[in-house]
Amino acid sequence: MMTLFSDNFIIESLGKFVETSGFMAFFAGEGWKFIVMIALACFLLYLAIKKQFEPLLLLPIAFGMLLTNLPFAEMFHSELFAGGHVHWDIFVDNAGLIDYLYLGVKLGIYPCLIFVGVGAMTDFGPLIANPKSFLLGAAAQIGIFATFLGAYALGFAPNECGSIGIIGGADGPTSIFLTARLAPELLGPIAIAAYSYMALVPVIQPPIMKALTTKQERMIKMSQLRQVSKTEKIIFPVIIAIVISLLLPSAAPLVGCLMLGNLMKECGVVDRLSKTVQNELMNIVVIFLGISVGATATADSFLNLRTLFILALGIIAFSFGTAGGVLLAKFMNLFAKEGNKINPLIGSAGVSAVPMAARVSQTVGQKENPSNFLLMHAMGPNVAGVVGSAVAAGILLAFLG
Amino acid sequence: MNMLSNVGWSEMLLMALFGFLMVFTVLVLLIFVMKTMGWFFTREHKAKVAATAETAHPHDHAISDQELAAAIITALKLYKSALHDRESEMLTINRITRAYSPWNSKIHGLTQLPEKK
Repeated sequence: MMTLFSDNFIIESLGKFVETSGFMAFFAGEGWKFIVMIALACFLLYLAIKKQFEPLLLLPIAFGMLLTNLPFAEMFHSELFAGGHVHWDIFVDNAGLIDYLYLGVKLGIYPCLIFVGVGAMTDFGPLIANPKSFLLGAAAQIGIFATFLGAYALGFAPNECGSIGIIGGADGPTSIFLTARLAPELLGPIAIAAYSYMALVPVIQPPIMKALTTKQERMIKMSQLRQVSKTEKIIFPVIIAIVISLLLPSAAPLVGCLMLGNLMKECGVVDRLSKTVQNELMNIVVIFLGISVGATATADSFLNLRTLFILALGIIAFSFGTAGGVLLAKFMNLFAKEGNKINPLIGSAGVSAVPMAARVSQTVGQKENPSNFLLMHAMGPNVAGVVGSAVAAGILLAFLG
Repeated sequence: MNMLSNVGWSEMLLMALFGFLMVFTVLVLLIFVMKTMGWFFTREHKAKVAATAETAHPHDHAISDQELAAAIITALKLYKSALHDRESEMLTINRITRAYSPWNSKIHGLTQLPEKK
């Protein structure tokens, strides 16, 4: 008993305690990286809470990032997912809570479940009423392929280029779905870039929209959309799911889930299911997805030049996508009769970011002509962009997966 | 991924070009599908509109939009000016119900009679 409480024992115990504390890791070797990452996570929390930048996702992502960068806490084990696949042989013995949650990302479950919820919250009526909107949604996907080449020019591997390019789709779940399959090591930076820029759509898009259009073009009033019957709204998701899945099987998980959610909403006979996928299921999956994606942003994978390149390429992707939609709308106007002209501002909504991008078209349009209501017209290209980015993801997966 | 390690600029350009063209092709195909669906569902409505137009007298179309607007405005004006204010027809003093409070309660303002036991 005397030896147990001797001075040496207490000093040794205290020494061990201090050595194993996370604070000591800050001063050892590359400990500064942890400090930078914790500061970055706190900054993202500030953006989510104070500035309300996509708070529903940025908050769990930032907190996941905070947890994973606490030294010795070992909340996430990247070695269990090394090489792009799950090491099941050591998984059960070593995995913690976030590792188990991350399986949903790794196996592509969360993005698809979120797409069920997104489908249940989306009204495809404006797109059904004006199917030409699909063209604007397709044109905005140029951002994906331009960035794909840009990333290659900066020295990224082809599979990584595909993951970086998809940021231009302005669709968080699609970006995560594709990156988890093509370049899981880039998941943290890509998710953060995608969601941050989606929140910055009202800042990024208006200058590009104004630069590419004249005042007269921005003032164009569009004719009212036709009424869409309930039967059309019910048939639409079924047809789209069949056509796209047959043409492009790799896009089937995303498009299939999107259309399943939409069918639940439109058919009107499974109201309980529709409400559940829109609220409870969506919220639960968002929490799991956010924390586990944030947890992949470890100091080693995040603090390097490649992350800066990804952030820079992300903004290029958004800009190209916006420009692509606006320019195609202008091009379509060359062949349109007077009275059937398209306001080019709705082209920018072709990047997904539902409904933020459509709201930007409405706001910019109303600044030029307060009596102009473009929101419903912009919703067409906006939801076409969701379908378009899912198709683009399927194509990239087929090429590079 | 081994196959991708030998990919050069030409393959990347082709992939980007084909990828973008494929997105366009798939979505253009969807436009045709949706147009067909739209035609199928609106054809009855269009036929009805056409039938109404045929049965209508030709001089109906002679009225310009401005004349139509003027007629609607005049009709609304006449309708509104013909309306009377609706009165309650009650000449008694309005009853005022006050919310209960111990401060305005009569029962608390009076001396209570002692209870007989």
